[in-house]
Amino acid sequence: MVSVDFELRKKVMDAHIGDTLKYCYQCNRCTDVCPVSQIAPDRYNPRGNIMASFLGINLFMGQKDNFGIWGCTVCDTCDEICPQKIELTEIFTVLKNMSIAAGEGPDYYTTQASTIYDAGKAIPSQPAIERRREQLGLPKVEEPDVSEVQKILNVTKLNKILNK
Amino acid sequence: MTEYKMFQGCTIGNRIPFLEASARMVFDKLGIKTSEGPFACCPDPVGFNSVDHTSWLAMGARNLTIAEAEEKDIISLCNGCFQTLKLVNKELSHDEHEREKINKILGEVGKEFKGTINVKHFVEVLHEVGEEKIKESIKNDLSGLKVACHTGCHYNRPSEIVQTDDPLKPVKLREIVAATGATPVDYDEEVLCCGAGVGNTEEEPAMQILANKLSSAMNAGAEAIIVNCPACFQQFDTNQKKAEKQTGNSYGLPVLYVTELLALAFGMKPDDMGIKFHRTRPKDLLEKHNLA
Repeated sequence: MVSVDFELRKKVMDAHIGDTLKYCYQCNRCTDVCPVSQIAPDRYNPRGNIMASFLGINLFMGQKDNFGIWGCTVCDTCDEICPQKIELTEIFTVLKNMSIAAGEGPDYYTTQASTIYDAGKAIPSQPAIERRREQLGLPKVEEPDVSEVQKILNVTKLNKILNK
Repeated sequence: MTEYKMFQGCTIGNRIPFLEASARMVFDKLGIKTSEGPFACCPDPVGFNSVDHTSWLAMGARNLTIAEAEEKDIISLCNGCFQTLKLVNKELSHDEHEREKINKILGEVGKEFKGTINVKHFVEVLHEVGEEKIKESIKNDLSGLKVACHTGCHYNRPSEIVQTDDPLKPVKLREIVAATGATPVDYDEEVLCCGAGVGNTEEEPAMQILANKLSSAMNAGAEAIIVNCPACFQQFDTNQKKAEKQTGNSYGLPVLYVTELLALAFGMKPDDMGIKFHRTRPKDLLEKHNLA
């Protein structure tokens, strides 16, 4: 029995301001050009993700293998090729944000976000690289105001998402 | 003369700074002026945006306000930083509702996004400088060198917003490379992603995509891959051995940042730009073309 997840449907539709999503006629060009679908056709299918999104069928949460959404390599090729100008990658971002909020995203993503929260940078400065910069005659990288970054990310509630 | 705010990003600035060395040498030679700023992570359009879109917008907007305060455009050395800052700038400039929402957040730290500056990818800027000016600086003509150009995805897509180049047949990198005398080969998988994005989730498919790309470039006779993004650079350079191991193919294909190629053509020394820090070994290639 397939049931409609109205919350998923509302989130996807709200985020997609252009409202083009409902004009998808499942031509499959997105999947045809998708580099991940080419090598893993049984595991990642952007066309299927779009169909499920606009029907509100939640194929994405609570799965053991969530490669079905996290397999996206964010190359934006599907966006370019879509004859209906659907911004597929934006919809996939909504799905990924929901997956993270449900605590189901791959570790890489939450670990990186956590580093950005703590240091203001995805890759914090480190003494060995600072020395190498000096040897190469490069100026010091100016440090960001981390307290400002954290204030912002507390307002957006990223601290809650990351359990900080 | 325009001065840009330099946005080298976390990967180049704090992991592989030798790419910045060649960029600065080339900028100096061509009269492109830059200054530093206390920027945070752009943040990553693949990683951080997938975690929380609103946080991504707010962090990107904060970086933009730093350049706005000096009324200077940003020059990015990285596809990811470029795409994030360009997309955030566009979304907040054209969507009043989102701008109000983000400015309310930025208000907590006394900042306001105004949408008064532009964000440029360094390939755009080099292309604006032009073929003539590049040719004037060339000391080593690279004729005879065949290379595969790889712009990477976030340089030219989504094209409606970034407006840098053709989204599926980019030409600017090829034209810059051709100005050195080198020949950009045509290869089947030129617009294929390097695979780094999916690698955040699983390594195996990322290495398969990389291997397909490398095979295609080699079959077309390329002696090196030319890139303009540090994430693609790391994928081609750091991960090439992994792709070889997974597929049983043997590549040994050197990877050069386009600014390294230009710096070599301008007569600068490989040691001065830290080419020895590459994992793939360009030694034979440099010797063959009298660049060592």
